[in-house]
Amino acid sequence: MAKERVSKIFKQGILNENPVLVQILGICSALAVTNLMMNSLIMGLALTFVTGISSFTISVIRQFTPKHVRMIIQVLIIAAYVIIVDIFLKAYMPEMSKALGPYVGLIITNCIIMGRAEAYAQVNPPIPSLWDGIAAGLGYTFVLLAIAFVRELMGFGTIFGMPVLGEWWTPWTIMVMPPAAFFLLAILIWVLNSKREGEVTK
Amino acid sequence: MKKKSFVYPIIFVAVITALYTFVLAYLNHSTAEKIEFLQDTELRRKILNVFDIPIASDDPDVIESVFNEHIHVDIASDPPIFYTTENGEIRGYAIPASGPGLWGKIDAYVGVSADYSKVFGLEFIAHSETPGLGGRISEPDFLEQFRDVDISNPVDNMYIIYRPAPGGNIDSISGATQTSKAVSDLLNAEIHEFIMGKGDD
Repeated sequence: MAKERVSKIFKQGILNENPVLVQILGICSALAVTNLMMNSLIMGLALTFVTGISSFTISVIRQFTPKHVRMIIQVLIIAAYVIIVDIFLKAYMPEMSKALGPYVGLIITNCIIMGRAEAYAQVNPPIPSLWDGIAAGLGYTFVLLAIAFVRELMGFGTIFGMPVLGEWWTPWTIMVMPPAAFFLLAILIWVLNSKREGEVTK
Repeated sequence: MKKKSFVYPIIFVAVITALYTFVLAYLNHSTAEKIEFLQDTELRRKILNVFDIPIASDDPDVIESVFNEHIHVDIASDPPIFYTTENGEIRGYAIPASGPGLWGKIDAYVGVSADYSKVFGLEFIAHSETPGLGGRISEPDFLEQFRDVDISNPVDNMYIIYRPAPGGNIDSISGATQTSKAVSDLLNAEIHEFIMGKGDD
C-alpha cells in the first residue's frame, strides 16, 4: 500500500473530515469527558483502538456479510471488542480501569465507530480500513484534548492533574460543568468551518 | 446467489455470534480469578481506609495481613458489616450503604464509631456517576471531609448535612447537586437505620 495513501487517510481523519468537528459525530462523549485531560486521553486512545480493530474486522468479513444484517454484525463486533478492552483493563491495568470507570462501556455507543464501519470499512480492504479507523480515532482524541486543555486549565488550574496556574487563579466552575463544553466545541467548529469555507469557495 | 437465500443470513449471524461469545467467555473465564483477587484487595484496602488504619505498602499480601489483623467480619448481614477492635472492645463499624445515584446504584462503606458519635470515614465501592462531575465523590478531596465527623447531634435524623445548611458538616460537589444529594440521602438513611437497629438490642 502506497505511503501517500496512508498519509491521505490520516489527513482526512484528523483534519479534513475530522469526526467531531466536521462530521459532528461522537459529540455526546466529547461534551461529557472533556473536563479532565487524562480522562480525554484515555477515552480517545480506547476509542482509537476499538475503531481501528473493528473497522479491520468488518472489512475482512465484508464480502461474506449479507447486506441487510450488516448492522447487527457491526454492533456485535464493536461490542465484543469493547468488552475485550474492558476485561483486559480490569485484569491487567486496574488503575486505568478505575480511572475510566463507565467510559469503557460508553465506547460501544460512539457513533464514530459505526460511522467509519458504514462509510469506509464496508467498501474498502482491511488494511486501509484499519488506518482509517485509527485516523478517525486520533482526530477524535485531538479534539477532546484541545477542549479538555482549556476546560481543565480554566476550571481547575491544572494540566493532566498538575497545578500550573498557582494559588492566585480563581477556578471557573462553569468550565467544569457541561455548558462550557458546548461553548468551546461550538467555537472550535466555528473557527474551523470559517477557515474551510474560504478554501471551498476558492 | 447464496447471500440472497433465506437461511444464509441466519447461519452467518449465528456463527459470528457464537464465535465472539466463545472468545468473550474464554477471556472472562481466564481472567475471573485475577479480577476477583484484585477486587478483594481493593475492598480490603477501602475498609482499612474507612477506619483510617495505615497500610505500609500497596502490596496485596501486606494489605491482606493488616486487614486480618485489625478487621473482623459480621457475615450475618449481606453485604457484610465489618468492625474493628481495640483492646478487646469494638472501636467502630464499617456499614454498607447503598442507594440510587443519578445514573445508577451507589455502593459505599461508611465507618461509624462504636458509640455512634462520629463518622470515621467513607469509601465508595461502586458507582456510575458522571466522570469529572458526580464521579468526583470518589476523589480524596471529597472523601477526606468524612474523617472524624461529629454526628452526635443529628438534625431531623440527618447526620451528613451539606454546608451552608444549619448543622452542615460537609461541602457538596459543585456542579453535581443531584449526586451529592443522593450520597447524603443514602448515608443518612443507612446510618439512621443502623443506629436505631443496634439501639434496640
